[in-house]
Amino acid sequence: MDTNLSHSEKRTLKNFVALYALLSFSILLLISILYLDVERDLMLRKKQVLLEEYAKELIQKLKYVHINLDKTRKYPRSENYKSAIFDSSKNLIFSTLKNKKVNLDDKLYKTENIIHFIKQPSSYYLGSYYVVVEIVDDELWLNGVYKKLFIYAGSLFFIFLIVGYFLSRLFLRPMREAIEMLERFIQDTTHELNTPISTINMNIEMLDSKRLDERSKIKIERIKIASQTLSHLYDDLSFLLLNHKVISNDEELNLKELIEERLNYFEQIANVKKVSLNFVCNKEQTILIDRKKMIKLLDNLISNAIKYNKISGDVIVILDEHTVVIKDSGQGIKRRDLKAVFDRFERFNYAQGGFGIGLHIVNVIAKEYGLNVDIESKENIGTEVSITW
Amino acid sequence: MVKNIFFILLLVSALEANRFEANCASCHKLFPVEIDKFLYRYILKYSSEESVKVALAEYLSNPTREKSVMPEPFILRFGIKKPSDLNGTELQNAIDDYWLMYKIEGTLY
Repeated sequence: MDTNLSHSEKRTLKNFVALYALLSFSILLLISILYLDVERDLMLRKKQVLLEEYAKELIQKLKYVHINLDKTRKYPRSENYKSAIFDSSKNLIFSTLKNKKVNLDDKLYKTENIIHFIKQPSSYYLGSYYVVVEIVDDELWLNGVYKKLFIYAGSLFFIFLIVGYFLSRLFLRPMREAIEMLERFIQDTTHELNTPISTINMNIEMLDSKRLDERSKIKIERIKIASQTLSHLYDDLSFLLLNHKVISNDEELNLKELIEERLNYFEQIANVKKVSLNFVCNKEQTILIDRKKMIKLLDNLISNAIKYNKISGDVIVILDEHTVVIKDSGQGIKRRDLKAVFDRFERFNYAQGGFGIGLHIVNVIAKEYGLNVDIESKENIGTEVSITW
Repeated sequence: MVKNIFFILLLVSALEANRFEANCASCHKLFPVEIDKFLYRYILKYSSEESVKVALAEYLSNPTREKSVMPEPFILRFGIKKPSDLNGTELQNAIDDYWLMYKIEGTLY
């Protein structure tokens, strides 16, 4: 039984992983930003003690200049810090600051690698309502923070990965169980179909048509068509279940002969819908492939072209150099559904019967032999399937 | 004509300057405390140009002990001055001249 992840499972898993990764990344990013903010705040609090000392020292020096204005107007400076003074209207009186942009409403803050501390003295020496002290942050503390962040975020990410793995298993379990149940059901049904289909086919073949009246002949023809359809379905399901266990027996096939044979095979089914089957052979072609698999590929495409066609529609099979084209005049496939046509159990038209495995089988065979399958479809105009190699 | 207007403007501005000299500086020369020290006390208390000028105008037009920025011993010794005879605009111009002459901002180096 094929229990590999199907396209839809992969897509679901991919979406889940993307969403989970995005969520995990967002959480980690948020935690990192908060942690960085806390560490930065802690660093500023530590620096504040020093900055308070510098501010006091500066105010003392401002006081000295204020008292001795008739002797000196030299603004006090220090090697340890830069400074500025602003009046109560926030006009600059004097500044030695490196970063001239000052936010007087914030007491302590850091811009890039510059720390500003704002103090309001009790007396406004030289008019200084705001005293700004500036120091440069060497940012050595950041190295430690980044190291810690790397360890913590890495550990958290690892934990998220483990949780994600279990979550994805939990998440996919119902889908996997449903698919396994469906596959088990098909396997059992296929097994049970084998004997009755063989019996019907064998008995139809054994009937002597010459001894039947016209009405019975028509009835037998209908039974034959129904049996053919069942046979086709049985073959598809068998292929799906046994594909990986069947050894290919490749041979040079004459495609012209094979297409004619298959169109002939589908003639009765096409007649029911009054669909005309046409074959255009522009160039005779041979291909090295397993006969049964090529028949399966063609049968599925021709069968779809008939099944999804309108009453009195057309099916045209064109054989050209390294190309087989099967065109129909059916209802077409919606553009958004085209991506998933090869998915197993994917069906876009529930008016017709089927399991949604035909094009999946076509794709499996095409992949095995390196054939390209292109589908172009326009709603209410028709579908064109091209096989190239 | 232009020369005349220029001359009149120069005369008016000279008269304005004389008003500060005549109405303020002339009396303060008699004090042992220089006139700029008063402004520095105002700056120490009011900080900005706007606040200092408002406080000065209020005090000069209606001087009281409470409004004075000078210390108690100074007031006890020299008392409170009389309200200014200058009208609002004249007083404002005199205060502006005073500020320009002794302000700290722009003089630090």
